[in-house]
Amino acid sequence: MTTSVNAPLSARGKLASAMPAEQLAEITELFALRRTGYSLDAPFYTDPTIFKLDMEAIFGQHWIFAGSVAELPEPGDYITVDYGPYSLIVLRTDEGDVNVLHNVCRHRGARVLTEAAGSTGNLVCGYHSWTYSPEGNLIHASAPGEAKFDKNCFALKRAHSREVAGLIFVCIADVPPADFDETAKIFEPYLAPHDLSKTKIAYQQNIIEEGNWKLVMENNRECYHCDGHPELACSLFPTWGLTEGLIPAHLEEVWDRNKEAQSSLEERCRRYGLPYEVVEELDTRIAGIRISRESLDGEGESFSADGRRLSKKLLGDLRDFRLGRCSMHLQPNSWFHFLGDHVITFGVFPINEHQSLVRTTWLVADDAEEGVDYDLEKLTYTWKQTNLQDKAFVELCQQGAASPAYEPGPYMKSEYQVEAFINWYVQRVQEHLA
Amino acid sequence: MIDVLTETPVQEPQRIRGLEMPWNRVMGSIEGPASAAKALGPWHPQEFVAECVETVPEAGGMMTFVFRRCDGAPLAFRPGQYVNIAFPVNGDDQEPVDRSYSLSSSPTQPWTFSVTVKRDPGGLVSPWVHQNVRPGTVLDMLGPVGAFHLPDADRRARYLFLAAGAGITPIMSMMRTIHSLAGTADVVVLYHGAEAGGFAFHRELAYIASVDSRIKVFYALGDRGRPEDWEGFSGRLTSAMIDEVAPDANGRQVYACGPEGYLNSATELLRKVGVDDTSIYMEFFSGDRQTLLEYQAELALAADIAGEIAEDIAESAEDYFESQPAAFGMYEPGYDEDGTLQATGLALEAVGPEAPAAAATPAPAPEAQAPDASSFDTVGTGSLTLSFMRTGINVRIDPEEPILGVAQRAGVRIGANCKEGMCGSCKVVRLSGEIDMNHQGGIRKREIDAGKFLPCCSTARTDMVIDA
Repeated sequence: MTTSVNAPLSARGKLASAMPAEQLAEITELFALRRTGYSLDAPFYTDPTIFKLDMEAIFGQHWIFAGSVAELPEPGDYITVDYGPYSLIVLRTDEGDVNVLHNVCRHRGARVLTEAAGSTGNLVCGYHSWTYSPEGNLIHASAPGEAKFDKNCFALKRAHSREVAGLIFVCIADVPPADFDETAKIFEPYLAPHDLSKTKIAYQQNIIEEGNWKLVMENNRECYHCDGHPELACSLFPTWGLTEGLIPAHLEEVWDRNKEAQSSLEERCRRYGLPYEVVEELDTRIAGIRISRESLDGEGESFSADGRRLSKKLLGDLRDFRLGRCSMHLQPNSWFHFLGDHVITFGVFPINEHQSLVRTTWLVADDAEEGVDYDLEKLTYTWKQTNLQDKAFVELCQQGAASPAYEPGPYMKSEYQVEAFINWYVQRVQEHLA
Repeated sequence: MIDVLTETPVQEPQRIRGLEMPWNRVMGSIEGPASAAKALGPWHPQEFVAECVETVPEAGGMMTFVFRRCDGAPLAFRPGQYVNIAFPVNGDDQEPVDRSYSLSSSPTQPWTFSVTVKRDPGGLVSPWVHQNVRPGTVLDMLGPVGAFHLPDADRRARYLFLAAGAGITPIMSMMRTIHSLAGTADVVVLYHGAEAGGFAFHRELAYIASVDSRIKVFYALGDRGRPEDWEGFSGRLTSAMIDEVAPDANGRQVYACGPEGYLNSATELLRKVGVDDTSIYMEFFSGDRQTLLEYQAELALAADIAGEIAEDIAESAEDYFESQPAAFGMYEPGYDEDGTLQATGLALEAVGPEAPAAAATPAPAPEAQAPDASSFDTVGTGSLTLSFMRTGINVRIDPEEPILGVAQRAGVRIGANCKEGMCGSCKVVRLSGEIDMNHQGGIRKREIDAGKFLPCCSTARTDMVIDA
C-alpha cells in the first residue's frame, strides 16, 4: 500500500446545501420510502438531480477503483479517470508512488492532460502553458509584470490514493472512509499471488452503455440473467448461484460435477496456501466487498469454451493453471476476475444519469507474447461477448425505467447481491444526507 | 570422516527469482561482454575434434565418456542438447559410423563434456564404444545439436523431468546445470528403470537431492524385477504417479526423454493431468521413422551451418570473426588463418581402477618426428615419390596418375569401392604432401581438414607421405 495525501477541503459545490429545501425533502423521502427487496423507483435512474447526488455522496465520498499498476508501470506514466463532473490524473511518480491530481488547471480550469493514458514529465496545461510538477506544484507560469503572483497558491488539487495488490483506488473526499484499509486486508492475500506488478495490458475496452451506473452495477451483481451469456456459460457452472436444495433434477449431474470441481480446487488452494473462502460484506461495511475463489467448468483454468488456459504464461509465482476464478466485487464501481493465466478488471465510470463508461482491461503476464503465448481474439472473446450482452440488458432496463409504466419489481433469491448493492447505496446516501 | 550433527534448523537460502543461464545476458547484450563470459556462450554447431580423457562406468550397463576439445576451447551447449560423433567402428580406414548422444554433463562446466552411452549388446556402435573408447581416443564430432533443452532464462523455472532408462542422460545435464546455478527452481524428477540396481547416476542424484532443496528425485521400476525392499514406485508411468510426485504438473514445463513407447504414453498421461502441449518437450531415444527423419534433418542443418562457418573461416579467419555480431562473439574457436589450432598439454595415459592416483605421472610426450621413409624399397618410375608408411614402400609416379591405382599395383592395402570419390571407402590420412582431389561427396570437410583424402580421385602435386 502506498501513501495517501490529504486533499484540500472543499465544501463548495455541495449539492445538499445548494438545493431548495423542498426538493431536498422530496429526495430524502424517496430514499426513505425505498422498499427493501425491490428495484428502485424510476427517478434513481433518470433524474439528473439524483445523479448529482450520487456523484457527491457515492463517488465523492468513497474509494473508487481507477485502474491497475499495469496501466502505469513506469515513472511518469499516467491515466486520466473521468466520472460525472470529475476528471482525475493518476500518475506514477519517480519515487514509485501514485499521485492523484484533479485534472483542472488552476489558471482557468482547462483540462491539463487530455489523453486517456500516456507518459509525461511535468504536467503542462495546453491552454497557457501553466506547468506543474508530478506532485502537482505549479513550477512555471509566465507572469511578465505580475508583481503579486505567488505560484505556491496554485498547485493542482490532490486526492487520495491507495495501491493494494496492484489495484489503484482513488478518493476525492476530504476525509476518506477509514474502513477501506480493513477491506484491503481482506482481499490483499487473495490477489497478491497473481502479482499484477508483473503483468501487462493485453487489451482494454471502453464501452459507453446507455444506462445509469446503478443499472450497470445491478446487472453485474446477479447471474439470474446468465442464460443470456452463452459464451460465459461454458465457464460458469449452470448451477452457479444455486445452493443445495435448489437444484432442479436436470442439473443434478452438473451439481455433482460442480461440487467435485470445487473440492478439488479447494484442495489445490490449501496446497498452495491460497485463500478461497467466501467473504461477503457487500452492505455491512462502507468499503463493501465480496470475494471468493470458485471453480470453473471444464478444465477449470480459464474463460475458454473448454476451460483451458488462454495464456500459456502463469501469473506471478502461481504454480498451477487450475485455480478457477478468484472473483471480487467492490462497492461502488468495480469487479474483477483473477485467474491463473490472466486477470480482468472492470471499472464503471458514470458519465451522466443515463450513460456510463464500462472499462474492461485484460492483463496477462508481462513476458507473455501475443501470438505465441496467447491469441488476443481468444483471450478476450468470452468477456467481449458478455460485455456486449450486458450492455444490451442494461439499456433495456434504462429504457424501461424511463417509461411511465415502470414500477419497481422484486429481486429474486438469486439476486440477493443486487439487493445488497442497493441497500449499500441507499444507506450511504442517507448517511450523507443526514 | 567427521559426522556433523546440525541441531539448529538451517534456513532456506536466499535466491534470485527464477533461473538464468550464465550466457543469457551475454547473448542479449550489445556491448562486448567480458571474455570469460564469452567463452561460455552457446556457439553455432561446429565440427570439432575431441579427445577422451576419462571413462566412468555407470549402473545399468552405461558408461560415461568425458572429453575435451583438441583445440582447447570449451564446448558451448545448452543442457539437453546432443553431439553427433563419428566412430571408426570398422577401422580407421573405413567410413566411420555416426551416432548422436545426449550430453550428460553441465555446460556450466564447459572445459570438459560427457556423453553417457548405454551398451546395447546387439548394437553396432555402443559395444564398440564401450570396448574401444579410452582416454586418448580422438573422435570427430558435430554439435551442439537439438531443440530439447532448458531455456536460457525462465523466471518460473518449475520443471517435471521424466526419464526412462538411458533417457536420464540429457535430464542429468539439466539437473547438474540447475544444481550448479543460483536462482529459484522447482524440479521434480521421475526416473523409470528396468531393475533396482540399474539406475545410472543414482548416487549423484541422491546427493544432489539431499543438498539442493530445489530438486526432488523419485524412482520407479517397471513391471518386473521389483525387490522386496524397494521403496520407490512400481509399474509403468501413470497419471496417478505423475499426480503424486507433482500435483502441480499442469503448471510445470515437462522435459521427457526415453523410448518411444514410454514417451507416447507420457504424452497422453500429461494431457490427462492438464499439461498443455506447448509445455511438453520430448527427446525420443528410439524414434519412429518420422522422428528419425526429423533428427536427420536437424543434423544435416547443423552440418551445413558448421560447414559454412568452417568455409568462411578457411577463407579468412580474421574477416570472419570481425564480421560476427557482438552477441555471437562468444569466443574464437580453435581456428586461425592456417586452420585448426591444437591445444598442447599433458599426454594421456589410461589408468586402471586399481592404480594408485599418485602413480599416474604423465608419460613424457613423444618427440614429434618427421616421417622417415628413407629405408623403404622404391618401385616404379616417375617424377614424384609416394611413401606408404605402414606398408613400408616408396612408389615413384607421374603427377597425373590417380593415387589409388598406383598404391594397389604396388601392393598397398587400401579398401576401395566406387573409385569415383563417392563412397569414401578408400579414405586414408595424408601425412605430408599436396594433392588435387575431385571427390563427389565421399569425404566431409572436417575429414579433409583432419588430413584425410580419397586416393581414388586424387593426384599428387608434390612428394607425399601416406598413412597406409
